[in-house]
Amino acid sequence: MSRPPLPRIGVFVCNCGTNIARTVDCEEIACAAMEWPGVVVARAYKYMCSDPGQEMIAEEVREKRLDRVVVAACSPRMHEPTFRRALASSGLNPYLLEMANIREQCSWVHDDPRAATDKALALARAAVARVVRHEPLEKRFVPMNPATLVLGGGIAGMTAALQLADAGQPVTIVERADRLGGNVARIDLTAPHLDSARELLLGRLARVSMHPMISVLLRAELEQLEGYQGNFTADVAVEGASRRLEIGSVVVCTGYKEFDAARVEGLGYGRLPDVITSFELELMLKRGRIEMADGRTPRTVALVHCVGSRSEEYHGYCSRVCCMTALKYGHEVKSALPGAAVVDLYIDMHAFGKGCEDFYRKTAEIKTLFLMYGKNAPPVIRPAGPKDDCNLLITLDEKLSGEEIEVPADLVVLMVGMEPREDAGRVAQLVNISRDKDGWFIESHPKLDPVATTTDGIYIAGACQSPKDIPDSVAQARAAAARILAKVAKGKIEVDAIFAEVDAARCSGCRICGTMCPYGAIEYDEEQKSSRVVEASCKACGCCAAACPSLAVRARHFTDEQIFAQIEGVL
Amino acid sequence: MAFEPRIVGFLCNWCSYTGADLAGTSRIKYPPNVRVIRTMCSARIRPSFVLKALAEGADGVLICGCHPGDCHYSEGNYKTLRRQVLLKRLVAGYGIEPERVRLEWVSASEGQRFAEVVADMTERIRRLGPSRVEMLPSTRRAG
Amino acid sequence: MAVRANPRLIDELELYGAEDVQKCYHCGNCSAVCPFSREPFLFPRKSMRYLQMGLEERLAGTLEPWLCYYCGECSEQCPREAEPGETMMSIRRWLTAQYDVTGLSKLFYRSWRAELAAVLLVALLTGAGFLLFGLKYGGGSLGVYAGPGAFLPASSVHVFDWILGGTLAALLAANCARMWWLTTGRDRRVRVPLLDYVTRAFLVPLHFVTQKRYRECESKRPWAVHFALVASYLTMLVLIMLFLESLHAAPANRLAHAFGYLATAGLLGTTLYALRGRWRRATPLHRHSHETDWVFLVLLVYVAATGILQHALYRWFGLDTAANVVYIAHLMGAVPMLAVEVPFSKWSHLAYRPLAMYFADLHERALARAASPAGAQSVPAAA
Repeated sequence: MSRPPLPRIGVFVCNCGTNIARTVDCEEIACAAMEWPGVVVARAYKYMCSDPGQEMIAEEVREKRLDRVVVAACSPRMHEPTFRRALASSGLNPYLLEMANIREQCSWVHDDPRAATDKALALARAAVARVVRHEPLEKRFVPMNPATLVLGGGIAGMTAALQLADAGQPVTIVERADRLGGNVARIDLTAPHLDSARELLLGRLARVSMHPMISVLLRAELEQLEGYQGNFTADVAVEGASRRLEIGSVVVCTGYKEFDAARVEGLGYGRLPDVITSFELELMLKRGRIEMADGRTPRTVALVHCVGSRSEEYHGYCSRVCCMTALKYGHEVKSALPGAAVVDLYIDMHAFGKGCEDFYRKTAEIKTLFLMYGKNAPPVIRPAGPKDDCNLLITLDEKLSGEEIEVPADLVVLMVGMEPREDAGRVAQLVNISRDKDGWFIESHPKLDPVATTTDGIYIAGACQSPKDIPDSVAQARAAAARILAKVAKGKIEVDAIFAEVDAARCSGCRICGTMCPYGAIEYDEEQKSSRVVEASCKACGCCAAACPSLAVRARHFTDEQIFAQIEGVL
Repeated sequence: MAFEPRIVGFLCNWCSYTGADLAGTSRIKYPPNVRVIRTMCSARIRPSFVLKALAEGADGVLICGCHPGDCHYSEGNYKTLRRQVLLKRLVAGYGIEPERVRLEWVSASEGQRFAEVVADMTERIRRLGPSRVEMLPSTRRAG
Repeated sequence: MAVRANPRLIDELELYGAEDVQKCYHCGNCSAVCPFSREPFLFPRKSMRYLQMGLEERLAGTLEPWLCYYCGECSEQCPREAEPGETMMSIRRWLTAQYDVTGLSKLFYRSWRAELAAVLLVALLTGAGFLLFGLKYGGGSLGVYAGPGAFLPASSVHVFDWILGGTLAALLAANCARMWWLTTGRDRRVRVPLLDYVTRAFLVPLHFVTQKRYRECESKRPWAVHFALVASYLTMLVLIMLFLESLHAAPANRLAHAFGYLATAGLLGTTLYALRGRWRRATPLHRHSHETDWVFLVLLVYVAATGILQHALYRWFGLDTAANVVYIAHLMGAVPMLAVEVPFSKWSHLAYRPLAMYFADLHERALARAASPAGAQSVPAAA
């Protein structure tokens, strides 16, 4: 292995008060380091991260004309940024730093001072060996196209589009159906305030269609997406013709579809005409008349919760909106048919949203009958006999009483859960995002980054990520728009200096790296017959570098040479 | 003097290295025999890193990554797992006990588990005895 | 076998006074504070649940509401203001209607207008009947109150009392039989041996006379008031059924009169106490008043007052004509009160409560026996 010309390295050992010095002999490390090749200065100090400590490093860099620095101290996860800044302040490229973790992974976990000092020596020696092979790295920037493609014209898609367009940025909505509005357009009132869904939509629909910055493509589908964050090219098929769009970001708002209630045999959906789904009831409510198949008015309406949700057989997750929707039906039925009785058959009442617990209480007070059935033991519905004064009989094992109960009903409404659309897999593939075991799109971080995805520049909002109600979908859509606007405002995208690169001369064009990359960040250049890393998309995991059979891929800052030197150093 | 194994540990930055740091902040004690090298992802660990460590005289190599399904890069640890199977065969082919190369999942919250893994590995390698890999001429052994 | 739910049961119970059942979320505080709630009779929570679930058949078969004396502790402790105590009270009204074989009880409880109409009708019939009787078969002159030639001879009134008492007792007995069937007879989970029915029968008179269970409530005062009321009633009953002639006749039987004064004072005192309580709504028991409660109390005061007045007019002032008029007015209150209240309304609890104690004891023994087949000895001791 060829070595570069002899470097000038400074080694700085931190006592961290007594945190390190109690078990590790820091002076011994400083003394020993002076003997290692390339080391021109080695000093121990009580708090290296303190201002005097950082100044000491900067001063030594200037005075001794150091071109490499090793800090043996705490974990790099703690203070690497601090010492990188110290280097930068002294005019040295911050990537010419290496840290040896002699606190979290040495002095704090070992009792024997001799063994701990030996280990710290090995770690410091490895850091010195490694830093010799460090290269100065520069951050890069790529331009940011302010245009956004919104997939799906439901409440989430329209909200994201309006927010972006109101900020003056161009948006294209691609909607597969022949109208905007999505599933919200199919419902009558919303829970828990019983506001009209139609009114929620109308204003938005008008603004979207009038907005000069928004173009809506109906009966349209995304066919292909290429490029990377800030610089995507999308091919969209609009009624047979293909259209090419240049965009910087994509917001996926493709929504959900309802569970097929016929799959739950015992409920009799499809066989019994007076067993209907929640969406069919919404249609009746929109028309203004709740009626049975034969036109009579039902005297008892039963609502079966969790159809397709929270079961081992169908979907394990909770669909989140059905409990409140069922309570809403309680109010709507009682106000439309004052004499009617309402029975809710539920597993657990999930009333977590703002105002929802109150809504539950109010629904109970209008004398809704609540009966609890067990998970994986859905009620069974059968036609009533000629002697019964009802249309249907529902049998369930009621959990709170332990009784097998038979409920008379005239109309049964199945609260069908949400599930990913059939084309969710195809969409995920097109925009290169992942799906969870249930088929929902996966966010970048479940708590801290719920709108971004593992692919930079692709955002998700609404029920395509997981079942969601309208406020959550709207919040997520606005958050996604805000994320995009922040990037647009910067005008360019900073690319971290640590990424992989392909040496075109060495590349045989086997494309193994391309298949390994989880981000689709490696492109194949047909002309050159070699692969190329899209720096803006690369996240520096380095799996391509590990897999390249011709050693053509270099993982910057984690090169083979650097790690080999480190291995030699620790042994 | 009793045999003290020297083990090289390759830890992914997001889960296992953070987990090892947590063992430190929690002051959980474990044997000093593992020396850690940080990589961004366990999938960065080229098999030649492991062979290099063994060739340099390491008595064991410990690779730690995120638990399956928790990879920061969504699926890097699966690639590591697949490589590990081949790697063990390769190592055995060289006449090295495959137990000397070990893959473990340690999350960022499993400081205790990291300490246990290190203690267990150290003990196993101690029982296995020193590696019998012939020293390469260029090898520089630590004194 | 599945139990049929009646989604309208809760609406029905509202007519009997249970307005807040749906607020209950089953924390169980009510059952925890209740001094009477213990296995196998846990209440009021269980009854609240039956109601919320519409389990009409189970509710009709429960004895638990009769084991509750409405001390109100549950309602005080309820975090949701679901009024479990009042709910138990309402269920007692509903159960009274369920036990009643004629269906009149249902009518009276659901409509105070119907009850009032029935009271007025019986009052008018009574008044007309006695007036006619007095003119045609009695003394014929309103000027004579007692002795030979009395407008309403005591012996005749006495016979009438026995006929009325017998009719009401028969009706009440029929209702009691239905209560037995609903709570015990048809329940396949409790098998009561015939011998138990005989050996435990003493519980009925015991509880009827002492209302000892009421004393187990934390506050002893309601029991004391109730006991005084019942003692007064019983005294009055004995006097009227056995010594009516001596009450009327001159010279007065001093002993009978002494008891009469005592009973009247007891009745009036406790009734006024109850009226004042309901008016002020000081305790949970008195906070909610069903329309039928008012009808009952007003009638009681009226009967007691007219009773005292006719006595005073005759004995102290010697005004025979006035005494006769007031006496008829008194009967016009007493007869409808008894006819409506005893078999069909509030007063029926004089039979249902002791019976419930008796049935509960039988249930408990049967369940204990079923739980340990060899353990007839482990049957709990007498209540």
